[in-house]
Amino acid sequence: MTTRISSQRYAVEDFHEALELCYSRGWTDGLPVVPPTEPAVRAMLEAVGLEPAAQVAFITNRQVAISAEKVAINAVMAGCRPEHMPVVLAAVEGVADPRWGYHGPATSTGGAGVLMIVNGPIARRLDFNCGDNLFGPGWRSNATVGRAVRLVMRNVIGTLPGRLDRGTVGHPGKYTYVIAENEAESPWTPLHAERGCRPEDSAVTVMAALGPHQFYNQLSSTAAGVLGTMCDTMRNPGMVGQPNYCVVLAGEHMRTIAADGWSKSDIRKYIFEHTTSTIAHLKRTARLPGAVKPEDETATRPLVLTPDDLLVVAAGGRAGSFSCYIPGWASRTSSQAVTTVIKERRA
Amino acid sequence: MAGFEILDPTVEPRRQPLTYVPRPDSLKGKRVGLVENTKFNSDKLLHRIGDILKQEYGAAETRMWRKHNSGVPAHAEIIEDAKRTVDVVVAGIGD
Repeated sequence: MTTRISSQRYAVEDFHEALELCYSRGWTDGLPVVPPTEPAVRAMLEAVGLEPAAQVAFITNRQVAISAEKVAINAVMAGCRPEHMPVVLAAVEGVADPRWGYHGPATSTGGAGVLMIVNGPIARRLDFNCGDNLFGPGWRSNATVGRAVRLVMRNVIGTLPGRLDRGTVGHPGKYTYVIAENEAESPWTPLHAERGCRPEDSAVTVMAALGPHQFYNQLSSTAAGVLGTMCDTMRNPGMVGQPNYCVVLAGEHMRTIAADGWSKSDIRKYIFEHTTSTIAHLKRTARLPGAVKPEDETATRPLVLTPDDLLVVAAGGRAGSFSCYIPGWASRTSSQAVTTVIKERRA
Repeated sequence: MAGFEILDPTVEPRRQPLTYVPRPDSLKGKRVGLVENTKFNSDKLLHRIGDILKQEYGAAETRMWRKHNSGVPAHAEIIEDAKRTVDVVVAGIGD
């Protein structure tokens, strides 16, 4: 690497002063950060073979070019190791994709986080959690990669809470919201392969997402029984017209559904057909405007536009009759989930 | 620990020169474009504003366009159409 790192430098006496400087400048998410020194930042760049000034992505609405150097600095601050850098870069490319539509989900009062689903060999090599306590703390890869993307959003793109991040209530996934699919135990086609990647690729899918909604079914021994419980909760949307829902099926439910021979396509079809609501119900509960007309009692509206807008992921602990669904943000014209191949080396 | 340096993680947004076209002295006889952003009631709000501009300020007519969604700028067809068919534009949000 030949090019000089151009970011402004600040001299500090010790770790404590570095930390307090980061806080005072508004560079953290509220938690302490790792001081971004030049050797640590260079190690990030060298891991992917990128020059500091290389442009990784461009956010059109904000007229912000995201350089490799700035991604590397924020990844160091988040606690990433150099081997995490390819995942962070792919996720940043994903949120910059016009289909993801950065300005809407990043800024909206709707308070979406960036759900990231990691697939492929890198998920296993870097020990991304796909099992117990799926969305909880305890795994460095899950904790730091999502945090790095949020710090890039904050420090590079200007997505500051109360300014260009106007989430009314937000959710804890805005700190980090990263899971992997349990490809080793899943009987199904992995998410990235369903979305156009080769199974041997590593990829990250980014979805503008609200918080996970857990459901419980310990009584059913059939696929329809388990999914019927979920659909009954899921069909009452927080908003009408969301572009995607992610359905995360954990060990017990995964095995019950697979034992009935259902594929992910069968799961999507069942959910699509069993989450419709009548227009009358949506109007009575003030999710759609207008007075209820007689024909509204029988006219129905699906939860998403097509079954393919449901992302089905096998992940979560082996024990426990729990799984969850995650509503997307806004509408299909506003933001769609994007899957990006993770490139280990860029040069 | 000896002193060391840390790197700034932020960037300044790219600066763009912005110039405004001259504002009309009066709306009398002007054609008014309304750009609706798809949010509930934003069309009603803009129609009401349009009515006020006609009734109280003498605007000649109003015409409305709908954006693809609230998170994106008005698309090229709206801009081109507006350039040809109206004198001023009002854009608003419906929250």
